[in-house]
Parts: sequence; C-alpha cells; structure tokens
Amino acid sequence: MQHAAGLEELGREIRDASRFLDLAEEQISSRIIGQKEVVHRVFIALLAGGHILLEGVPGLAKTLIVRTFAAAMNLQFQRIQFTPDMLPADLVGTMVYNPKDMEFYARQGPLFANVILADEINRSPAKVQSALLEAMQEKQVTIGSSTFPLPEPFMVLATQNPIEHEGTYLLPEAQIDRFMMKVIVGYPSYDEELGIMQLAAASGTIPEVRPVVDAGDIAAARRLVDRIYVDPRVQRYIVDLVVATRNPAAHGLASLASMIEYGASPRASIFLLLAAKAHAFLQHRAYITPEDVKAIAYETLRHRIIPGYEAEADNIRTDDFIREILQHIEVP
Amino acid sequence: MRAATLLLALLLAALPFPLLAGQTGTASTVLGVSVEPDSLYAGERVICTVRVRHPEGTLVSLELPDSTALEPFYPVGQKHSSSMLSRGLAEERFELELAVFGSGSQRLPAFALLFRDTRGRMLERQEYRPAVSVFVRTLTPSGMLELRPLKPPVDPDFPFPLLTALLLAVFGMAGVVLLALFIIKRKVRLFAETVDPAQEARRKLGKLHNRLSSGLPPAECYAELSAVMREYLERHYHIRALEAVTQEIERDLRKLGVSSFDAIMNLLRQADLVKFADSRPSAEETRNSTRQAEEIVSSGRSGSH
Repeated sequence: MQHAAGLEELGREIRDASRFLDLAEEQISSRIIGQKEVVHRVFIALLAGGHILLEGVPGLAKTLIVRTFAAAMNLQFQRIQFTPDMLPADLVGTMVYNPKDMEFYARQGPLFANVILADEINRSPAKVQSALLEAMQEKQVTIGSSTFPLPEPFMVLATQNPIEHEGTYLLPEAQIDRFMMKVIVGYPSYDEELGIMQLAAASGTIPEVRPVVDAGDIAAARRLVDRIYVDPRVQRYIVDLVVATRNPAAHGLASLASMIEYGASPRASIFLLLAAKAHAFLQHRAYITPEDVKAIAYETLRHRIIPGYEAEADNIRTDDFIREILQHIEVP
Repeated sequence: MRAATLLLALLLAALPFPLLAGQTGTASTVLGVSVEPDSLYAGERVICTVRVRHPEGTLVSLELPDSTALEPFYPVGQKHSSSMLSRGLAEERFELELAVFGSGSQRLPAFALLFRDTRGRMLERQEYRPAVSVFVRTLTPSGMLELRPLKPPVDPDFPFPLLTALLLAVFGMAGVVLLALFIIKRKVRLFAETVDPAQEARRKLGKLHNRLSSGLPPAECYAELSAVMREYLERHYHIRALEAVTQEIERDLRKLGVSSFDAIMNLLRQADLVKFADSRPSAEETRNSTRQAEEIVSSGRSGSH
C-alpha cells in the first residue's frame, strides 16, 4: 500500500522526536507513582500549547506532578499560591522606583516562567484570575507602559479543589473556556497507594529527577505536531461531537436537549483538534484517528458544557453527557 | 220659596252619598293580579302583586283568609303603596310575599278587598279569587313545610361519569395503538434479525466488488469496506462497532475470543490507514481486502466465537 507522500517520513521524525517523552515519563514515574493519565495530559498540553485546569482533592500530588514535570522537561517552574488578598501586580510584576538612577523600572512577577502552577486559582478574586488568563491567552504581559513576552514554552497548570467552596471565587465560564483541558485527578489505586507509602517511608526525601530535554527539543516537537495529518473525516467527526453538545436533539440525542444549558464553544473544536494531534504524537503517529479524538474528548469538553437545572437535579455530570455523545455519534 | 230652597238644599246634600256609594261600588276595580316567578322550588317565595283602582277618599285594605285556607301558601311579608292617577281616582298596589310549598300547579289563594270611608266605616267588601297559578317544583317531600333560604338553582353537575368513560375510551384506544405499534416493531425487528448479518455483509461485499471493477476509487472502496465490516461485526457479535473506534472494537473482539480476530483487525487497520492517513491502496490490494473480508464473513457464519 502506498502511503501519503511525506507522512511516512513525518512518522519517522515523530518517532525520533517523541522519544524524549518516553524518557520524561520514566523520570516522572520514578517520583510519581500512578497518575499516568494526568502526566499524559500534561504532555499533550505542552505539545499543543495549551493550559490545564487540574481538579482534585488535596493530597493527590498535583503540585509534585507539575514540579517533577518541569524538572524533567528542564523548564523553569514557578508555583503561585492564589489567595483572596492577591493583586494582579503580584502575578505580572510592577514598576519599581530606583533611587540610584532616579527612574522606574519594571520588576517582572512570578508569571515569567515556563511552567506556572497556579495553586488554588479559585481562591483569588476575578481581577487576579483575569490577569492570569489574559497572560495565558496573549502569551505576554504589560507592566506600566512596557509589554513583555512570556517565555516559550509557557504553560499554566491551575489547580482547584472540588469539595471546598468556602471563600472561593468561582471561575467564570468564559475564563474556564481558555483552558485547553480540565483534568480530574483521582485517587490512586490500592497498589499505587501502597507504592507511594513505601517510597515516601523508605527514602524520606523525593527522588532526584534528571532533565531529559531542552526548550529547543520541545519547540521542534511542537512544529512536528503542527504537521500531523488530519483527514477531513476526522475534522467532521470533531465538529459533529462539539455541535452535538449544543444541539443534541438534532443528532438524535433528544434526551440530552433539556439537560444541557449551553454546549461547547468553537474553541472546543480548535482545542479538540490540537489535543488530538498531540495525542497522536504521543502515540508516535503522523496522522490522527478518531481514537485520538475520543481519548481526549472528556478532558477537552467537560468544562465547556454547562448542565441545565434538570441535569443538576438528577445529579447527572457533564462526563455523562460526553459519554452519551461519544457512544451515539458514528465514527468515520 | 224659602221652604222650597231648603228642600232643594236638603236634597242636594243627601244626593252625593248614594251617588258616591253607588259610584264606589261600581268604580272600584281590581286591575290585575300578577305573580313572579311563576315557577319555583318548594319553599321558595313568590311576589304576588294586586293593583286596585278606586275613587279618591276611599281607604282600601287587603284581607287574606286564615292560614288553613291559604295553604300551600304562607304569607311572609306585605307591602302597600298608593298613588293618585288623576283627580278623583287613585290606585292601590299590594305586594304579598308568599312562601310556596306543595308541588305542581298551585292557584293563588282568594283574598278580600275592604273599602272604607275616611272615617273608617266599611263601605264595601269584595271577594277575589285570582285565576293565576304558580308551578311548584319539588326537591323534597311535598309535605315539607319548613322555609328554606332563597338560593339560586344549582347548576347541573359536571358529567364526571361521562368524562371518565370518555377518558377510558381514549386511553384504551391509545393502548391498543401502542400495542399494535409494539407488535409491528417487534415483528420488523424479528424479521431483521432473521436476515443473517453474514448474508447481508456478503451481499454488500459482492456489490462493492462489482463497483470496484467498474471503477470505484480504491480509497472510497476501503471506506465502504470498513463500514460494511463494522455493521457486520455489530450485528453478528452484538458489540458496538459503528460508533466505536478500531481500538474499542479490538478490545471487544479480544474479550469475545473471536477466531478471525487478527484478520479482522488487520483489515480495519488497513482501512484506517486509507481513511485517516491518506494511504493510497492499489486496485489489486483493494480487491484482496474485499476478498479477505468475504472470507472473514464466511468463517464467522459458521459461528466461531
């Protein structure tokens, strides 16, 4: 069978270029037991240039995953604990007066790093959240009258606690939409927990993580991700999935029509495609299949679908909608 | 002369009395007796109006017989008014409020009109029996004598039994229709199930083979081949294949332990390469794949899973 011109070559390049991800995964798993899905999603976001909202109860190693990931990827890491008294200047930086030169100069905030862990993002008021989300969108910040580009790659991993809402500021839907994925960090399995306990008790310190890649390799990998082939059939499949969240009845899902208040935005189609391409890259493939789309559909769509009153009353979650849609929309 | 004048004066003085008396006897007229309403339930009340015209200066009163003679009417109240019609002529109006009992047509009781002069002396008594009746509808035993309060007639009851019967009929009809639909649907499904999925797939693959020979592009042929195989797998192995990706089908078939697992997966992966990786198979490769699909279907027909 004759394969498409360039795709075989691209496949070889991808296999070579994606090797660092396997090495990084090895490094991360030396420190993190389990949570492989979360680590894969973080890789996908890195390759697709997206940001992640991590949701999970405290104590699930969210911070450790991100810190370890940044160390393995040789990226500058910055953890920002969001608090109610925070100001946008605490994030982006501020103009500071230098009495020696009798001039103001811009002092850059903690946002100037490759990997930002925005811990408990929902603890800060809307103006701080907006400042962060603007930086995520524009990849640059303005301090005083000067605009500074953020380092490449720039990636925000924000965390929020799903069970504690006292003293929190709910992220508005428009801002949540800017996150490429919302990843639910679950509890480890029995065996994983056993391993975590033994690892922590045996050494008492966190194992060292060796950097396996540099920013240049990541940029090259991103360029390869851009070249991944997407067949029009898969593009239509993506749009079918997203449109089905907005108008389920038209896709034969009349039972969901009253359950969904608002469906996913066009940004969902864009991110679904980008994330599917990154997923194909992780599978060392030069083209995407519906499997890639399905693999990241939950993470890409779950925070973009607003359930209606009826769904909330029946305790139906957005993941249930997505499952229903994936099981109903015919695969090309 | 003086005696004649006195006599004339006496005659003139005596003249008015017999004249007036005669006039009273003839000029007093009962103009009419009316009753309203003319139909009522037992225990309700009627207003009986008696109008009498008489010369001015005469006092008129209405006298009812005793209660035994009045039955089945019972007086509840009476109003009296008088008016001057013209010089020398007046009209009296008596309104009697009577409670009515009994049942059927009841003629109004007789009454007497008493005419007196201004000094109270009885001039005349007239008995009157009006030819007016009221119709008494009874809801209670006719012997009931208790007064009941005035109230409007009760509206007829909502025909609940009729409505219930109607609703039962509608639901019954709907039930029959649903049952008919269910039976038809079941028959259609049973009929569809009786069509062997392998036979159906072989028919479609044969058609695809012919179309390929008549110039169907191999890429399109692979797309259709994949669709035919997925439909076959879904119906034959009862797995979700049309909405599933190849990896999901692989997982399901592996669980079932299908004997031609490798051949099926090889075919689906080849189709995926054509559909999603822009691979271009030759016509010969496509023919081989179609033949392979036919073999899979034939082997699956012998029921090996």
